[in-house]
Amino acid sequence: MMFTRRHFTTGLAMSLGFGTSATVSAADTPLKLRELYKRDGSFSALALQLEGQRVTVSGYMAPPLKAQSKFFVLTKMPMSVCPFCETEAEWPDNILTVYTKRTVKVIPYTVGIKTTGVLELGAKTDPNTGFLSLIRLAGATYG
Amino acid sequence: MKTKFTASAIALMAATAAGAEGHLPQATNAWYEAGQARLAAELAKEINTNRAKNVILLIADGNGVGTNYATRLFAGQQAGNFGDEHVLPHESFPNLALVKTYNVNAQTPDSAGTGTAMMSGVKTDAGVLGVNEAVNRSDCASIEGNLVSTMNEIMTEAGKSTGVVSTARLTHATPASGYAHSVDRNYEASLPEGCETQKDIATQLVDAMEAGIIDVALGGGRRNFIGKDITDEEGKTGKRAEGENLIDRAKSLGIQYAWNDETIAAATTDAPILGLFESSHMQYEADRSGEPSLAEMVEVAIKNLQGNENGFFLQVEAGRVDHANHAGNLARVVRDGIAFTDAVAMADKLTNDEDTLIIVTADHEHAIAFSGYAGRGADITGLCMGISNTTTEHTGEPCLAKDGKPYTIATYLNGAGSILREDMNWAGVRPDLTQEEATDLDYTQQALIPMSSETHSGEDVAVYAKGPWAHLFDGTIEQNYVFHVMKHAAEVNVSN
Repeated sequence: MMFTRRHFTTGLAMSLGFGTSATVSAADTPLKLRELYKRDGSFSALALQLEGQRVTVSGYMAPPLKAQSKFFVLTKMPMSVCPFCETEAEWPDNILTVYTKRTVKVIPYTVGIKTTGVLELGAKTDPNTGFLSLIRLAGATYG
Repeated sequence: MKTKFTASAIALMAATAAGAEGHLPQATNAWYEAGQARLAAELAKEINTNRAKNVILLIADGNGVGTNYATRLFAGQQAGNFGDEHVLPHESFPNLALVKTYNVNAQTPDSAGTGTAMMSGVKTDAGVLGVNEAVNRSDCASIEGNLVSTMNEIMTEAGKSTGVVSTARLTHATPASGYAHSVDRNYEASLPEGCETQKDIATQLVDAMEAGIIDVALGGGRRNFIGKDITDEEGKTGKRAEGENLIDRAKSLGIQYAWNDETIAAATTDAPILGLFESSHMQYEADRSGEPSLAEMVEVAIKNLQGNENGFFLQVEAGRVDHANHAGNLARVVRDGIAFTDAVAMADKLTNDEDTLIIVTADHEHAIAFSGYAGRGADITGLCMGISNTTTEHTGEPCLAKDGKPYTIATYLNGAGSILREDMNWAGVRPDLTQEEATDLDYTQQALIPMSSETHSGEDVAVYAKGPWAHLFDGTIEQNYVFHVMKHAAEVNVSN
C-alpha cells in the first residue's frame, strides 16, 4: 500500500484524536525529499514516523555508480555538476538511496521520477560499491 | 507601492490639458511626479571627492542585470507588492556603470579572471588568480615574473586593515582573488606533483593572515585547511595531505577561529578572525542552519576592521547566487540574492558616505532569460500570467505556448533543466507544469541546450557605487577599471 504524507498525516491525526486506525488509503501526492530532513541535516519527525512504512518520494535518479546495479541515489534536483564551482562531483547533503526490486533501468538524471519503497533509517554500506547510506527505500519501484 | 490608473482620472487630466510645462495634463500623474522628483534629485547631486578611508567591494557572483532583476521582483513580491517597483538597497546608490566582463582569453568569463580584474587592475586569463595573462593555466613554471599585486596587499601597504567574506569556500575564485597568486583556481588544497613555484590557495590565505595582509576571513571551505585524516567539528574530513592542519596553525598565530554561528558570535574585535563555517561552500540562504548569514558576517568583519584608524578594505562575495544559477534553480538564486542585498544594507548602515566608498557589482552574468508577456505581479519564480485589460494585476491565467502548455517567466538557455532527453536521442517535449511545481523551492527551470550545469554568459553586469569618487563609475567600463577607482579613492601610492 502506498503511504504518502497526506495520508500519513490523516492517519496520524486519527490516531492522535481517536487512538485508532493503522489503515490508510493510497494517494498520489509523493513526499518531497527535503521533507525527510531537518535543516541541520538530521532526519525529520516525518521520516522518523514513517520508518518501516512504504512511501513514495519524488526526485531525480543520479547517474548510477555502477552498471547493472540494484540501487540508485535519488536527488531533490538534477545532479548538475558545475566545473567552475567544484573540482569534483560531490553528493548533495540531502539524498535518498533507493534499493530496487529489479536491476536499475537508468532514467536520465534530468527527468523527474517517483519511487515507492519501504523507508529504512540508519547506516548501511552497500557490499558491492561500498556506498554508505543513512536513509533508504527498500524493495522499491520507480518511474 | 501599487499604482493604478483609472480611465476617469486620465479623462479628467486630458480635459485640463494646456501647452505649458507646468500645466501638462499628466502633471499630476503619479508617474510624472515621480519622474520630476528623480530629476530634482539628479540636479541636486553633489560629487564626493573626499579621501576614501574605507572601501567595501560587494560582489554577488553571477548576479548580472538579469539575475538582479529577478531578485528585485522577488524581494518586492515578498513585501506584498508587484515587484517591479521595488528598489534594492544598491539600486538607490547615486552612481552606476555597465561593466564588460570578458577575460583576456574568454568571451564568456570565469570568476578567477573577473576577480583578478577587479582586485588587481588588469584583465587576465580565465581560471587563474593574481597573475597576468602571460601565464599558461596549470603551468606552474609560467608563474615566475607574472604576479600582480592584489587590492588587499596594496591596502595593507597603505596601512589599512583588510578582510574577505564569502558564502563560497574562502579558497574559491572570487575571495581568493584578493590574496592568492595561482596558475590554477583549482589548487585550493594541494598542488600537482612537481609544482614548486607557488603554494596551494588555502596555505596562501593563512600566510596572508600571518603577514597581516588579511585580518578577517569568513566563509566556507574548512576541508581545504585540514588533512584527509582530520575530522572537523561537523564530522567531515579534509582534503589536504595527512597531518596538515592550517586551522591549528592559524590558532597558533593568535588568530581567532570560528566554525558556526555561536563561535563567530563570541569572536572579539581585538584580534584577526578565521571563520570556516562549512566543509565546502556555506549553505544556501534557503537552507541555512547553524551558520551566520552574509549580512552577519559583514557586520562581524566591519566591526573588527574598524579598529584601524587608517581605515579598511573589505571584499564581500555572495558566492551562491552563482551556484543556484548553475543549478537552474531560480528559487534559491533570489533568496541568496536577497541575502546579498541585506549584506549591502548592513555595510551601508555601519559606515558613513563621507569616508567610505561602497561598490556593488557582479563578476559575470548567467544564461538566464525572461520571456512572455507577463502581467504585473506575476511571481517571478513562477508561471507567466496574462496581462489584464481591466486591472493592473495579472489575470491569474497562465500564458500558454504553442504546445498548449504554460511556461515560467524565467528560463535558462542551457543546463540540467533541458527538455531534451538523452534517452530520446536528444528529442524533447516540455513537461506540463503547474504554478505549485514552478514555485517549489527545488524546482529546476526549463532550459534548452542540455548541459550538466548551466553556464555563465558574457553580457554586461552593472556596478553601483556611493561615497568618495563613486561618480567615477559612469558609462560602459572594462571590469579592471573597478580596481582603479578603488585605488584612486583611497589615494594609495604604491611603488610596484
